[in-house]
Amino acid sequence: MTERIRIEGLVKNFGSTKVLKGIDLTVREREVVSLIGPSGSGKSTLLRCMNLLESVTEGKVVVGGKDLTAPDTNLDQVRTEMGMVFQQFNLFPHMRVIENITLAPIRVRKWDRERAEQKAMNLLRKVGLEEKARVYPEKLSGGQMQRVAIARALAMDPKVMLFDEPTSALDPEMIKEVLGVMKHLAREGMTMVIVTHEMGFAREVCDRVLFMDDGRIIEEGKPSELFDQPREDRTRAFLSKVL
Amino acid sequence: MDWSVVWEYKNLFITGVWVTFILTLVGISVGLVIGLTTGLMRLSGIGWLQIPAKVYVDIFRGTPLLLQIFFVHFAVIPTIWEDVMKLEVPDFIFSGFVALSLNAGAYIAEIFRGGIKSIDKGQMEAARSLGMSYAQAMRHIILPQAFKRMLPPLGNEFIALLKDSSLVAPIAVHDLTYAANITAKNTWERWTPYITAGVLYFMLTYLLSRVVFWLERRYSTEGEDR
Ligand SMILES: Nc1ncnc2c1ncn2[C@@H]1O[C@H](COP(=O)(O)OP(=O)(O)O)[C@@H](O)[C@H]1O
Ligand SMILES: [Mg+2]
Repeated sequence: MTERIRIEGLVKNFGSTKVLKGIDLTVREREVVSLIGPSGSGKSTLLRCMNLLESVTEGKVVVGGKDLTAPDTNLDQVRTEMGMVFQQFNLFPHMRVIENITLAPIRVRKWDRERAEQKAMNLLRKVGLEEKARVYPEKLSGGQMQRVAIARALAMDPKVMLFDEPTSALDPEMIKEVLGVMKHLAREGMTMVIVTHEMGFAREVCDRVLFMDDGRIIEEGKPSELFDQPREDRTRAFLSKVL
Repeated sequence: MDWSVVWEYKNLFITGVWVTFILTLVGISVGLVIGLTTGLMRLSGIGWLQIPAKVYVDIFRGTPLLLQIFFVHFAVIPTIWEDVMKLEVPDFIFSGFVALSLNAGAYIAEIFRGGIKSIDKGQMEAARSLGMSYAQAMRHIILPQAFKRMLPPLGNEFIALLKDSSLVAPIAVHDLTYAANITAKNTWERWTPYITAGVLYFMLTYLLSRVVFWLERRYSTEGEDR
C-alpha cells in the first residue's frame, strides 16, 4: 500500500519546552490509526503538525509525496486534501449549517453554489442531519455539531481525515452517533488519524494503535497486540488506568 | 437672552453643522481604514509591522487630541507643504481631517484588535484546516464575528469623535463650536450661541447613535432565524 503521511525525526518546541522529541511515523493509504496516551503527551501537537497547523521545529512531514516543511510548499493547497475535526467542533456560528459546509468548496475550490449545496446535502444525509441544513449551529446538540463538522471537512473530498478527540466534549449518548459516522467513514476506506480516549472504538475500528508518552511514540501495534499484550511498562500503566 | 443674534449668524451655524458632520464622517471613514490596517499589523506577529503600529497607537492615545491638532496644523502640514513641496498650505479643515483621522485610527485599531482577539482561536484553525488562506479566513470567518462585537465600542468611538471634533475650533476650522464662539464674541451675547451649538451637537450625536443602534440590531440578529 502507498504511504499517505510520512513523518521523520519530528521535533516540536514551544519556546524552550520540547513537546515532541523525535517522532517517526508512516500512515498508509486507507489506514485507520489511533493515537492514545496521557494528557499532555503531545498527541494533539503531533496531529496538528500533520497539516502544519502547528509549525515544525525539526524534521520532515511528507503528505502525499509533498514535503510540507519545504519553504515553497503551498500549505493551503495541501490542507484542502486533509480534513480536520476538533474536540470543540469549531463550527462557524455566524453561518447556517449548509453555509458552514459549502463555504470552503465555494471559496477555495471555486465550485458554484448549486454544486456545493448538492454535495453538502448529500453529506448531511450521510451524517443523518439533512433536516438541519438551514439551522444555525447554536440550535444543535454537541453530537449534531460534531457530525456537521465532519461533513464540513468531508466537503473538500479530503484524502486524509485528522480527528482530535472528536468525542471528548460530548455526553455519552452523543458519543455513539459520532463514532458511528466515523466507523462508517473507516469502512469506506478513508485514511484516518484519530486521537481518542475511546479504547473500545480504537480496538474495533483501527488498524494500528500508537501509544504516546512524553513527546515520543512508546509503542505501536495492532489493537489486539497493544491492548492485550503491551510490551512496555508505560503502556501497561496507562492502559490499566483507562481500560 | 437674545435669540435674534443666532438668526443673524445662522449661516455660520449652518456651515458649522455641515463642517462638523464632514469632519466626523472623514474621521470615521479614514479612521476605520487606518484602524483596521493598524489593528491587523499589531496582530501580525511580525516585529517590523507590530512595533510601528504599537508606537503609533500609544502616541495618539497617550497625548491630548488638542495638542495633536496643533502639532499637525502648525508643525507637520506647514513643513510638508511649504518646506518640502513648496506649495501653499491647504485649507485649515485639512489639518482637522488629518488629526482627527489619525486620532480615531489609533482608538479604532485597539477596538479591532480587541474584537479580533476575542474570537476563539479554533475559528481560524478550522478555516485554515479547510484550505482557506489567512485573508479568506479573516474575511469570511473572523471579521464578521469580530465586527458584531466591535459595534458597541465603535459606536462609542464615533460619538466621541463627533464631540471631539469641536477641538478643531481653535485652529479656526469653521465647525459648530467655532460658529458659537464667533457669534458670542461679535454680539456679546453670552447664552444663546452656546445653547444653540449644544442643541445642534446633541441632535447630531442622537442621530449618530440611532444609526449605530440600527446597525447593532441588524448585525446582532444575524445568526438567528428572523
Ligand atoms: N500553544 C502552546 N504553547 C505552549 N505549550 C503548548 C502549546 N500547545 C501545547 N503545549 C504543551 O505541549 C504539551 C503537549 O500538548 P498536547 O499536544 O496538547 O498534548 P495532548 O493532546 O496529548 O494532551 C503540553 O505540555 C502542553 O502544555
Ligand atoms: Mg489534546
